[in-house]
Amino acid sequence: MDQAVEVKRKDRKIPVGPEMADRCYTCGTCGGGCPATGLVPGWDARKAIRAIVFGMEQEVIDSKWPWVCTLCGRCQYQCPMGIQLMKTFRACRTARDRDKVPGPIHKGTMMNLERGNNLGIPRDDFLFLLADLGVEMENDEEQPCPGFYVPVDKEGANIITTINSKEPFGEPDDMKFWWRIFYAAKEDFTVSSTNWEGVNWGLFSGDDPAWKEQVGRVIENARRLKCKTILYPE
Amino acid sequence: MDLLEEYIKSGRIKLNTHKYHETFTVHDPCNYVRKSVMIYNDSPNNGEKCRWIAQQCIDPSLYREMCDDPLNNFCCGAGGGAWAMPYDQERLDYGKVKVDQIRDTGAELVIAPCHNCRDQILKGLGAEHKKKTPGFDMGNYQETLYLWELVANCLEYEPWSQEEIDAAHAARDAQFERDGIELEEE
Repeated sequence: MDQAVEVKRKDRKIPVGPEMADRCYTCGTCGGGCPATGLVPGWDARKAIRAIVFGMEQEVIDSKWPWVCTLCGRCQYQCPMGIQLMKTFRACRTARDRDKVPGPIHKGTMMNLERGNNLGIPRDDFLFLLADLGVEMENDEEQPCPGFYVPVDKEGANIITTINSKEPFGEPDDMKFWWRIFYAAKEDFTVSSTNWEGVNWGLFSGDDPAWKEQVGRVIENARRLKCKTILYPE
Repeated sequence: MDLLEEYIKSGRIKLNTHKYHETFTVHDPCNYVRKSVMIYNDSPNNGEKCRWIAQQCIDPSLYREMCDDPLNNFCCGAGGGAWAMPYDQERLDYGKVKVDQIRDTGAELVIAPCHNCRDQILKGLGAEHKKKTPGFDMGNYQETLYLWELVANCLEYEPWSQEEIDAAHAARDAQFERDGIELEEE
């Protein structure tokens, strides 16, 4: 690049102050301890942060880097200068056009807003599956659980639990692990018939309003059913 | 995790420690362990809690440590939505750090207290290990279990009383009627 880049704070897509250029020691602790270093040619955590503070943020936003980085937070946890790396890389995801978000996480987020779970499982199918699995568990050959069923929309339950939609979709028996624990503990639990999704893809796609909406729905379910504790078995 | 710990400590669930005889290790999910501290100022001991719960299920002499500093343990490689993203090769290559860690423990079972980490270690890294893909040698590795799967498989059940069973059946029938659920009789 031949020309100097002029950085104007108000034009920035990524909310970092240019003074961070001085705060970062360029010590490389971030990139040195990162398993993603070397996976995206031209980029690692240190280079991406430097590019952003120098105003080359669009290049980072357009790169694969913020998506191959898993936002694990190890770099930010260790940064001796308190640079908010994880938060900044997530902001790069937010700055991507929604139709350019890789994979299904944006579509899943939209599906969730529309139908209450990332995979669009209809309410009736979900309730029938829970009922069926309950009967299976009650009559299980190896370890029957007489009296077990999955309480749905039970007011005043002690615990309301979210469900990871991949389980009713593809691995339904895996839901029984928690249910068996509840059965043995004689826990008073319930599952909501709607908006039961526990996987918040808005967090990962960088979609703040959708993220907030999904968290709000989980809380709303707990309030509606007067449950004391929300369990996110994620 | 807090709930499992409470159930075990209060005696609400009882565990049989003789179900598993394999060596085991515990993986620290970023969301429970490091990021809960960074973002919610949660307890810095969540990694220790996982280890404690796992050691209530399997004899602690079989435990093999993966990382003595849970807050600085490495991501499995599938976090942040990466499991669902189209960058499969990058996700697997990222996981090589975890592969080396698991191999170095010598453990046969990996306990993962997170849906996403479990899928990566079982279906991503574990599958490569079993295919003998170069770079994915996980040593003695056999299987990945959710933390709650391990607990569920080790439960000692105390039978419910007939009154409890009858009350549950009545509540279930009322719910099925409300929701219009009709199951075929076996």
